[in-house]
Amino acid sequence: MQESTATQSEPAVQTNTPSGSKVTDLITIGAGPTALAAAIYTTREDIETILYEKGVIGGLAATTDWVDNYPGFPDGISGLDLSENLRKQAERFGAKIELGEVLNITSEDGLVKLSTTDGDRYAKAVLIATGSDYKKLGIPGEDTYYARGVHYCATCDGAFYRDKKLVVVGGGNSAVQEALFLTRFANHIDLLVRSELRASEVLIHQLEKNDKITVHLGVTTDEIIGDGTKLEKVIGTNSQTGEKQEFVTDGVFVFIGLKPTTEFLHSTAIEFDEIGFIKTDDGLQTTLPGVFAAGDVRSGATMQIASAVGEGATAALRIREYIEQHHM
Amino acid sequence: MAKDITIYTTNTCAYCVMVKKWLGAKGFTYNEVNLDQQPERAQEALAISGQLAVPVTVVTKEDDSQEVIVGYNLAKLAPAVA
Repeated sequence: MQESTATQSEPAVQTNTPSGSKVTDLITIGAGPTALAAAIYTTREDIETILYEKGVIGGLAATTDWVDNYPGFPDGISGLDLSENLRKQAERFGAKIELGEVLNITSEDGLVKLSTTDGDRYAKAVLIATGSDYKKLGIPGEDTYYARGVHYCATCDGAFYRDKKLVVVGGGNSAVQEALFLTRFANHIDLLVRSELRASEVLIHQLEKNDKITVHLGVTTDEIIGDGTKLEKVIGTNSQTGEKQEFVTDGVFVFIGLKPTTEFLHSTAIEFDEIGFIKTDDGLQTTLPGVFAAGDVRSGATMQIASAVGEGATAALRIREYIEQHHM
Repeated sequence: MAKDITIYTTNTCAYCVMVKKWLGAKGFTYNEVNLDQQPERAQEALAISGQLAVPVTVVTKEDDSQEVIVGYNLAKLAPAVA
């Protein structure tokens, strides 16, 4: 784990507009794999690039215990280390990472205006690469025991469950991967899967070999119950028999899929698909001129780190073309 | 002004890295309690924050009052150390 000293860098070299405002060539919203990959490409083309991040550099990938399917790492790599490598590579070519939150995006005089927690920023082009976050179950008790027994980040909170019992909810790659990670701490894990396991064969094979995890297929997760302070059990239903099942546990980790991080864009002119992902054209440009979207947040995304990085590179090339056509 | 800053972390917590990164970039020094290296202190973090989560940042001010911030939350962290 490496420490950075460059996260609060001075803004990149900028150009004054006639109105006196500063203009950056490209601002990415987010500093996950998509934005970092894009920045590696744009900065190598002398396109000044600022990555604006409100959360974790590396995004959701940085909170992932282990990444085994990212090409180029034959033995796998931790999500945190992969994120650090991407950050260092982008910063090596001049990308600047700034910490703050974008509140709104509009067009103004052929530029993109970002309203942020640090004031207004202007860019020739913007790349939305805000990625995704884990979905919630939306069941009774989930909010009540949030961070007091209900968790969405195993690498953050797993250490509090040494020699404890856990429930993990979900049947995809994330759920199985994180359940396997949590066996470092927990003495037993009940994995509740609504239908069938959808994880890769490699992960399922690891799951079968792990005697700390009991898989419950066809079990919905209905309610989380505690004594008001401490979580005590999870109530589920066997979807075949209709029978209620109780799982006594000290904590619940939820990995039931991803939702795009787009809430801050809902009052903008950007269009979304029916499930909330950003619509783009073939060149990854959104319905707002000069604003591009790539990675997990884009309609059609495959929610893979490798895809996100590829889309970041594609977006960078399209953004270069856009800047050449509209700002040179 | 902060007199002392202590952060409870784990090895794998990306949000812990961000808190340390932000404090370092702002020129603050801090003490770190790594719960992977000192698991016996997890209960201490829980008692302080009331939550089973890291990072937990404890900011002790000049008047010895304390502010506790759970997670990577700049909206709370920045004024706490100011």
